[in-house]
Amino acid sequence: MSATTKTVMPQLIRNERWGRVLAVLGSLQGYIGLVLVVLFGIISKGNVFLDQTNLTNAVGAFASRGILAVGETLVILTAGIDLSVGSMLGLASMVAAMSLVQGGIPPLLILPICMAAGAGMGLVNGIGATSLRIQSFVMTLAMLSVFRGIDRQISNNVSVGTQPVNSDGKLTKHADQFQMYGTPGHNIFGSVYYPVLAFIVVVVVFQLILSRTRFGRHIYAVGGNETAARLSGVNINRTKIAVFVLAGLLAGFAGPIDAAYSASADPLAGQSYELDAIAAAVIGGTSLAGGRGSIVGTLVGALILTLLDNVLGLNSVSDNLQLIIKGLIVVAAVVLQRPDLFSSITAWFRGITRSARSKGGT
Amino acid sequence: MVHSKQRAVVVAVGLLAVVAAGCASKATNSNSGSNNGGNKSSGGKSSGPFVVGYSQSNNAEPYRAQLNLQLQYYIKKYPDLKLLPIADAQQQSSKQVSQVQQFIQQKVNVLIVSPNEPDPLTGPVQQACNAKIPVIILDRSVNTSCYSAFIGGDNYVAGKKAGELAAKDLPNGGNVVELQGILSDQPQIDRDKGFRDGIKSNPKIKIIEHREAKWLKENATSTMQQWLAKDKNINLVYAQNDPMALGAYLAAASVHKENSIKFIGTDGLAIPDGGIRAVQQGHLAGTFIYPTCAEEAAAMAEKLAHGETVQKKTTLDITAVTPQNAAQLYTANDFSHKK
Repeated sequence: MSATTKTVMPQLIRNERWGRVLAVLGSLQGYIGLVLVVLFGIISKGNVFLDQTNLTNAVGAFASRGILAVGETLVILTAGIDLSVGSMLGLASMVAAMSLVQGGIPPLLILPICMAAGAGMGLVNGIGATSLRIQSFVMTLAMLSVFRGIDRQISNNVSVGTQPVNSDGKLTKHADQFQMYGTPGHNIFGSVYYPVLAFIVVVVVFQLILSRTRFGRHIYAVGGNETAARLSGVNINRTKIAVFVLAGLLAGFAGPIDAAYSASADPLAGQSYELDAIAAAVIGGTSLAGGRGSIVGTLVGALILTLLDNVLGLNSVSDNLQLIIKGLIVVAAVVLQRPDLFSSITAWFRGITRSARSKGGT
Repeated sequence: MVHSKQRAVVVAVGLLAVVAAGCASKATNSNSGSNNGGNKSSGGKSSGPFVVGYSQSNNAEPYRAQLNLQLQYYIKKYPDLKLLPIADAQQQSSKQVSQVQQFIQQKVNVLIVSPNEPDPLTGPVQQACNAKIPVIILDRSVNTSCYSAFIGGDNYVAGKKAGELAAKDLPNGGNVVELQGILSDQPQIDRDKGFRDGIKSNPKIKIIEHREAKWLKENATSTMQQWLAKDKNINLVYAQNDPMALGAYLAAASVHKENSIKFIGTDGLAIPDGGIRAVQQGHLAGTFIYPTCAEEAAAMAEKLAHGETVQKKTTLDITAVTPQNAAQLYTANDFSHKK
């Protein structure tokens, strides 16, 4: 009797400890890709990588795409997709620059103008994907082309600088204020880099909308099972139009950031950003089939993408090798962040130990 | 029933549209055809309007947008030339092939092509040549000699002059970083080679970092931020185009290092956002005007339309933009207000 308790007790304790480790690992698991990238950064270039300016630069460079990714996540959660976010951002950034330079509009007013323009574009997408019954992939692919065309038409294919100067060679008052939207080295409230703040605020607001409001539950419901959602009284079309409008609104919100970051609006700005936005959402655990995912996950995905780029850059990894590594790490991150990863590993591990024990018994 | 009736109507309307389009294109064909014939009958000395077709590889690049503006301006200088709407291939060679073939079908009097890529465009240029249409090739080559004229700049020289400027600006040597265009693009390869040859005269100059920023301003900004974060002692930035140079400038300005680092770009476009203005404002130490070839192309189109022969291959000079000549070069190259 005593002999058995002696052998069982340590094993129980060991199991318990192992269980606790598993639980911690499990809760961290959604971030494991990010943790690995950060660890890689600290080990290879610790002091430079962790420098606040470096992290601000890295997140700031991705902020406009991160904001697009939040809108993209909403659309993907309803089992749709928005391929036009990059074009909408490009057009919004052009609207911002032209309002500033040719319209002489004060920067604080430019933001709502861009957001309204973005929401308008999103509304077109939403109507196409619902009332016209065009699949969102096709509708937004078409609008990708239309919005880009409008962008190029109004700019006449010439980039518009956001730093016009007075006759004395100094920036105009509005141009100076406009830099607060994210021209490198310009902060608001003394030391806050606006693109980073804007990205984080957008993440928090939309995470709360998703998890705390009825509209948020409707989004999951529509993406999870459209028929069931309709039968339980959710207005499917209204929800879908709303997410497209929000995706456009966010693209418009990111427009001034993009223009200020480059100190100019390029007619090609935002090209292929839709891929980065989709990648951030998917790496963050959002399912392309809809109904599963979160905005926090998208934040993690965005951080993985931009910090990885930063770490590889700091280590002067060659351009071709960077492409290969980035692709492989994305695959690894998605596998490592699979929710059932640890349970399947332990199941596999248990299988091995059990067979080993039964062999030992005979 | 109703459905099928509607469908029938739609199909009928569609067919009508196609037939109408066919007639229209035939009409223009015969029109320009007779035009062409007229020219021939009068021994190429007719003053009748000569139709010029221009196939642009991609309107959306600022350099090419400038080229379009300038070509329209210079063609207008010759009252007997008429430029058809510029065909934009949007960086797709297959699209450009069909656009060039459409110009051949329309029997334009002179064809100007900025090839997107050499290989795919060789065929259509040959077809134009077979159709006895004089062809002017701009900047990028094709793999046939069956054309009337080639006009281009020299990217190697543009890189070399930038290298020589760097050597002059850093007499005691120093650390240079290079921002590259898309690595497989020929202009990138040539400008890179030229730059490295240009700085050879001063062995104390070292290229400590070089990275692909894909010709894009925002990529250059984040790359430069990373280099600055590593606290490398950077004395000079060479960017293979002006947007990348200005992107690096923004990154340096954010940590107040813009005055201790020199920036050299290339392209020299006379637009408010371009390199010449940046030299004028003291942001860039210098840039190099890569010629658009538009003025020369218009002059040659005029000669070719009148049946004259022109020089087969013309390589244009690269003009250095310095703080001294920037203002004057800006006015000379600004076409936004010229009609």
